[in-house]
Amino acid sequence: MAMRQSQSAVIERGVELGTAHATEPFEAAWAGEARWFVQFLRPAPGVRVSIQVQISPDGITWIDHEGVAPVETEAVGMVSIPVAHFGHWLRLSTSKISGDEGPMLRIYLELKE
Amino acid sequence: MTTTDISGLTDGLRGALRSSDSRLSKFNPLPRILTIDDFDDGLHGWVELGGNYNGRGDLESLDRHFRDMRPPQLSNANFFDVGTHGAMSGTYSMKLATRAYRGHTATGIRRLTMSGRGLLQIEAYLAWKTEANLSGSEEEVNSFGDITWDANSHPSEAQFGSFTVATDLCSEGVRYHNVMRFVNADADGHLIQKWAYPVVPEPTPHERHQGVHDYEYGADFTAPDPKDWRYLSDDRVETCYNEVPTKINWHYLRFLIDTRTRSNVELQFNNDVMDLRQVPVPPYADKYESLENLLNFYFSARTVSGVRNFLFLDSVVISAGW
Repeated sequence: MAMRQSQSAVIERGVELGTAHATEPFEAAWAGEARWFVQFLRPAPGVRVSIQVQISPDGITWIDHEGVAPVETEAVGMVSIPVAHFGHWLRLSTSKISGDEGPMLRIYLELKE
Repeated sequence: MTTTDISGLTDGLRGALRSSDSRLSKFNPLPRILTIDDFDDGLHGWVELGGNYNGRGDLESLDRHFRDMRPPQLSNANFFDVGTHGAMSGTYSMKLATRAYRGHTATGIRRLTMSGRGLLQIEAYLAWKTEANLSGSEEEVNSFGDITWDANSHPSEAQFGSFTVATDLCSEGVRYHNVMRFVNADADGHLIQKWAYPVVPEPTPHERHQGVHDYEYGADFTAPDPKDWRYLSDDRVETCYNEVPTKINWHYLRFLIDTRTRSNVELQFNNDVMDLRQVPVPPYADKYESLENLLNFYFSARTVSGVRNFLFLDSVVISAGW
């Protein structure tokens, strides 16, 4: 049996979160499962953010994934979001809900057959 | 049999076997095939080019223009108008995708070492496209630079900057790059469509650490100063971009170099074969540690329009004469 293909992509290496941010379009048609990791490389204690998995038929027009509720969290540490049934394109949309400071994010996308 | 007969027989057998191999018959490799990468079964070690970080991986220790070369994608070439385009062989290719940021470069690299000296070659079937645009007024988006949409030429073609094939090699501490770039258009969308090469070595993180340079995000990492590039010929190279950003026609590329003489030899692009023996390969003045027998190849795509640029690679073969 062939081993399962996999890829870990560092989608953002250190992005400053102002009010809102969306990751670059990423093709994932070959993968059956995915997991996002969002690491607050520079945390912002007390700041609340909302993170939403989005999908697209073409990498251009995006909607929220209907099966993954937005994750609300304080901008510290690391959060992880599993996702399946995502079609061919994935991105992650992050927005600040409250607080003044802006955290810096490292975002990984882990894909597996 | 004489030595000449045996050599001829060996070449003939090699050619016959290759011709009957559907994966290899579209390539023309040197005798020792080091890698065959068909992206239908993974990325085969092609990875984002990363910069050199300090002892605890601090982001700030990376050169700004080396922080964001983008992870390669396994693409089924999925487009808004036709759905899945697929690849030349099978469904998937490797896609290098820039950001929508002027000057941004996406780079995928393959890391090996040399077990000999002599001829070294990379071959690929590739295609370059821009991201399709689905918004804006007709007046705004039907023209870009030299091209106004006429249902033959499409403004997206003028939004693709360049793609590059290059090495990173080191022997006896002498490090050097063989670099060839297809310059498609400038930042104003004027079509150039010529092969070019740099006359300086690529600025390294080590040089930045020594205070030699400090480039901005989006700088052209291969050779940041446009004055350090030369065109191989003044003749325009016509290609098969094919009218719109969602039709993919695969082009053949073959880049031959010689690691014994640290020189360029030949570039083939479809049916054009170009002699590169006069194209310089400037080495670094200082010797490099930790890189003995380094054998890296990279492909990159660079946008100068600010529209996302994509380089698709259906398959890549690296072969050697040693």
